[in-house]
Amino acid sequence: MSEAATGRNYSAFDAELSHQALNMRLFVRLLLWARPYRITLGTSAALVIVGAAVSVLMPVIQGPVVVDTILAPNEAAESRFNFGLIAATEWLSDLFAMSPLAAAVILFVGLTISHLLLMVAHQLTLASGALKTLRDLRLDLFASLEHKPASFYDHVAVGRVMTRVTNDVENLFRLLTGFVSLAGQFVPFFFAMFMMLAYSAELTGMVLMIIPAAAIATYVFRVAMREIFRMVRDSMSALNQYLQEDLMGIEVVQLSGREEMNADEYGALNRENRKQEYRAINYEVVFETFNTSLTSIAIAVIIWYGGGQVVQEEITLGALLMFNTYISMMIAPVGTVGHFFNTLFRAMASGERIFQAIDWDERLHEPEEPVQLPERLQGSVEFRNARFAYPASDPVLRNVSFAISPGEKLAVVGPTGAGKSTIIRLLARFYDFDDGMIFVDGIDVNHIGSGDLRKRVGVVLQDFHIFSGTVLENISLNDPDISRERAQWAARVVNADTFIRDLPDGYETELAERGHNLSQGQQQLLAFARVLASDPEILVLDEATSSIDTGTELIIQDALHKLTHGRTCIIIAHRLQTIRECDRILVLDQGTMKELGTHEELIAKRGIYFTLHELQFQDSVGAAELARRKRREEDGPRWVERTDEDEDDVLGRGGVGGG
Amino acid sequence: MHGGGGGRWGGSVVGAPQRERGSFQHLGHLKRLMSYVRRYAVVLVVGTVGLAIARLALYLMPWAQKLAVDSLADPAAEPYLLIPALMILGVVASQFIIYVPARRVLRRISIAAAYDLRKRFFNVVQYQGPNFFNKFGTGDLMSRAVNDISMVRMVVSFGAVNIVMFVFSVIAALWFMLVMSPALTFWVVLPLPFVAVIGFMMARGMFPFFRERQEALATLTSFTQENLNGIRTIQAMAQENQEIDRFRRASTRYAQKFYRAERYQVIVGVSMTLLTMISPVVILLYGGFLVLDGELTIGSFNAFFGYLILITSQVQSIGWSLSMFTSAAAATQRIFEVLDYPPEVVDVAEAQLPPDINGRLEFRNFSYRHPGAARPTIDGINLHVDAGETVALLGRIGSGKSTILKAAVRLIDTPRGSVFLDGRDICEVPIRRLREAVTMVPQDPFLFSAPLKENLTYDKPDRGEEAILEAVDAAGLTETLGRLVNGLDTVVGERGTTLSGGEKQRSTLARGLIRRADVLLLDDCFSSVDTETEEQILGGLQRMRSGKTTLLISHRVSTARHANRIYVIDNGRVLESGTHEELLAQGGYYADLEAVQSSQDRDRARRGQLLRQLDGSRGELPPLAPTGSDVA
Repeated sequence: MSEAATGRNYSAFDAELSHQALNMRLFVRLLLWARPYRITLGTSAALVIVGAAVSVLMPVIQGPVVVDTILAPNEAAESRFNFGLIAATEWLSDLFAMSPLAAAVILFVGLTISHLLLMVAHQLTLASGALKTLRDLRLDLFASLEHKPASFYDHVAVGRVMTRVTNDVENLFRLLTGFVSLAGQFVPFFFAMFMMLAYSAELTGMVLMIIPAAAIATYVFRVAMREIFRMVRDSMSALNQYLQEDLMGIEVVQLSGREEMNADEYGALNRENRKQEYRAINYEVVFETFNTSLTSIAIAVIIWYGGGQVVQEEITLGALLMFNTYISMMIAPVGTVGHFFNTLFRAMASGERIFQAIDWDERLHEPEEPVQLPERLQGSVEFRNARFAYPASDPVLRNVSFAISPGEKLAVVGPTGAGKSTIIRLLARFYDFDDGMIFVDGIDVNHIGSGDLRKRVGVVLQDFHIFSGTVLENISLNDPDISRERAQWAARVVNADTFIRDLPDGYETELAERGHNLSQGQQQLLAFARVLASDPEILVLDEATSSIDTGTELIIQDALHKLTHGRTCIIIAHRLQTIRECDRILVLDQGTMKELGTHEELIAKRGIYFTLHELQFQDSVGAAELARRKRREEDGPRWVERTDEDEDDVLGRGGVGGG
Repeated sequence: MHGGGGGRWGGSVVGAPQRERGSFQHLGHLKRLMSYVRRYAVVLVVGTVGLAIARLALYLMPWAQKLAVDSLADPAAEPYLLIPALMILGVVASQFIIYVPARRVLRRISIAAAYDLRKRFFNVVQYQGPNFFNKFGTGDLMSRAVNDISMVRMVVSFGAVNIVMFVFSVIAALWFMLVMSPALTFWVVLPLPFVAVIGFMMARGMFPFFRERQEALATLTSFTQENLNGIRTIQAMAQENQEIDRFRRASTRYAQKFYRAERYQVIVGVSMTLLTMISPVVILLYGGFLVLDGELTIGSFNAFFGYLILITSQVQSIGWSLSMFTSAAAATQRIFEVLDYPPEVVDVAEAQLPPDINGRLEFRNFSYRHPGAARPTIDGINLHVDAGETVALLGRIGSGKSTILKAAVRLIDTPRGSVFLDGRDICEVPIRRLREAVTMVPQDPFLFSAPLKENLTYDKPDRGEEAILEAVDAAGLTETLGRLVNGLDTVVGERGTTLSGGEKQRSTLARGLIRRADVLLLDDCFSSVDTETEEQILGGLQRMRSGKTTLLISHRVSTARHANRIYVIDNGRVLESGTHEELLAQGGYYADLEAVQSSQDRDRARRGQLLRQLDGSRGELPPLAPTGSDVA
């Protein structure tokens, strides 16, 4: 299945998006999720503004109030703009009959504490609002992924999708909080500028010439560094990926005698990384120094030029000292902005990826008015001229017609690419197809809600997917409808009970995702138990190819017999003994029906099924010869050379279980 | 096969085992780093001295301001402005001239130390055996190589230097302050030790919150990963809404933990700020009175604020530096745990190259017990494969078959005197040479994320196309190759085109065949391949392995029957041995297996009998429940 086969551009899902342009639409969309928490977030923003205003008042006390009116009294000070702080100090000192200095200090302490409280409230409301917003976004993203059809997961790597739920949402958190905390720094910037202008426009102008210089330098540095940081990151991840693969394949490495060669290759990556790191620090150290130096230069200007103004009595000494404090308050955000832009661009790419996944318009057609199924289906299945092709590729099923009566078992056999697994995929409605092709109890499956249908059609895949959790949870899949008793009953019926009880904690034994603590045979039994617990009327089963040892093999055969008993079954069979258990056999080849009948009928027919039978059970060398001869004669079915797993891993890619 | 994780290294490693929290007891481990830093000792000292000088220059800034302010505050004095302003510019220049190069060399040392550690780490890890890899999983090792080494790098880069600079800065600032006013200095500095201690305690108090947050994130991540890996099962069982509910709980829990960590951090931040605000208040109040009493100049009063800021930033970061030290010490310990691990399988001193190899492999009374296992995996096995023979091993999972193969290539620490190649103890053959002569294809079909061609010629990349195609053909991979868009240059493995289990298995088989080794060991290499393809591969094996020794593990009679001899292994012993016909005649395990794996009618009766025997030994099977009925 090539990517183009579906006519969708799935590569978009794998591309590393990295955006350089601002995309306001993204923010607007993000706000939709923030809406329920707008009061919290709005409060947070209001608190930061008030907090900023308070923080700007504190230098006024240190400068104009304490220095100009108390320590070195200067009448000029009182006429200047000071938010009434001088008056407040006098009032306080009169009221409690304390020295003006003590009164000023009390004001200072009061302002400090209220600033701190405002900031605490701001940060807590911000975290709370942002976290809830993103939890909701994450949930919606997950829900949309949960309902994406099989065709989507056929083409998209799970890892790529997953990072959207984890890393990308985290990045948006940084964006949301970064935005507000940036506001927390920029609001004082403007308040401070306003104050400075009120005192001396001239000095303010002189000092503020630093800001554009800082901004330009920051910008240039960011541009220069973006590439360097990217190379550092790339070299680091190449290094780590190499190590990881080497560790995962360590047996192969050692068996191939590659240790020295790999040490050389890793060494080259390690050197490259060191080179990039060396390059990066050169810039970083210079920029870091440059940033701290800006404030110093501004202070030098204030002393030289502002000092002159003090001498000429244009400003007071206290105001001069206040300028010193303000200038450090103003230069700090300039560096932060540069940093914030990195976050911003990263978050934008993340946002793009998240919304791409949410918007991805690929879903199963659900009937508008789904047919209500009766309590219990009869279990008849009919394929009527069923045909199916994956988009932009050759048909995989061509006019397949057969009917199975309730309780009948049909074995489906045929070479790779015959379309066997497509039969399962269609019956469980994992793909969309035309109406009037497939019927269950005479009802077109397209008229049944997919969730409802899948509860009636149990699917057992070749690979049993173990979720980490207890054995019991793996049988019931946490479905509240499946009681503990029911799950245990199912396990007993399919012969799984014995081995489960032998596990350290019985049904409560924790299983690891990859199921290393269960043998393949045990996994198959659990798969049987899982499907039996939900008691479907129709069973579709893809038999595993792997062979197991004698005892397990027998137990599985027996379990399969009990599981299928009394149910309508379609079994993609690989073992002839399984085929012999079935009532009829359907032979598919390249999407068309070749043979349909009982074992005896098909043997008598001496067709494809006969060849297969001979191949597997007579002398193998002779059978291979027979197969080759047949192949030459008919140029027909390709029994050999491809495994069933190549494509028929029923609902997906290979290599899910295995190890 | 291996999940893929979050895919991004550098941050936290999902699934990494719980990391031990650093403590002071670990600090001793930092000594181990000395050998990596010592070679840079001179540069380290020069760099630190440079930083100290640059910092001293920085302390001239408040002084320069003091001089200017004093001249302005005293109406009688001549304004003294230009020189202080130039002094400040001089300080700026000194930062560029002294600080930049000093900081740069110090950071280069940390990069170089990380480089050296990584290099050694890789070399040590590559030569380790199974015990090592059982002890340290891949995720664990990655976490040590990524997170711990970067932690160590941080401590080399900032930690040690920060502490030296802290002591130096505090002394320098104290000196300047004492010169201005000893009394005020005492009261201003008094709260600072508390700031440092509380800062340190709070930084460490953060750990549990942070860990809980990380754990909640890890839970969320692994839940998502597992869910998406099993999405087909979930959809097939119509459990989507169920899963969304569980996800809601997990993500809400994460949001709560995140919020708690955030709240702690905010409270810590506020408490620290409150503490650090005591000193400026003291300056304002007590310093103010001193000015009013004429004991302190306004310039000094102002300079106190300047020095206070310089000290406070140091004091605040010292707590961070100290807690980093303890974490780095724990990280160092974790790194050296790996670096100190002795390799299990080593060449013995008298190892020498044998002459041409015929390929006779023999196990003489070979026993092996996995470390920590209660009973031996292999219990006195005697078996031999004559030159040019093909021999099959059969047996249950866990019977010890794989261990036998691994012993022949020393993937385990094979005891001396138990495995012989052409009559020579394999422990006396250099490992490299042994693994050239004896090639093993492991059970797990692992492919590197590299072009198929590189995977097939992994041992010797300069093999010609012809040799590759021959092996591809013999392994039954030709058709797969034709399907791959870029042929042999198609990237496979985790980050490449996904191959099915069977295709992977055949690729690894081709990788083994291509080496045309004297002895080939196949560990269950057909399990994901269907019977028809297996026939084809067996034909290919015959072509490429005629006259050479092959020892293979299989679960299928159809594979084993072609072998010259078959050994049935059970519980680490040889249970049965002989040719296909001989074993069938014996009527033991092999005959049972044959019966189970065929569908001939004559075997039906026998299967039923076997099943009954099995039931007897495993307890009663439950009676068949009527279909569809529920159990009360």
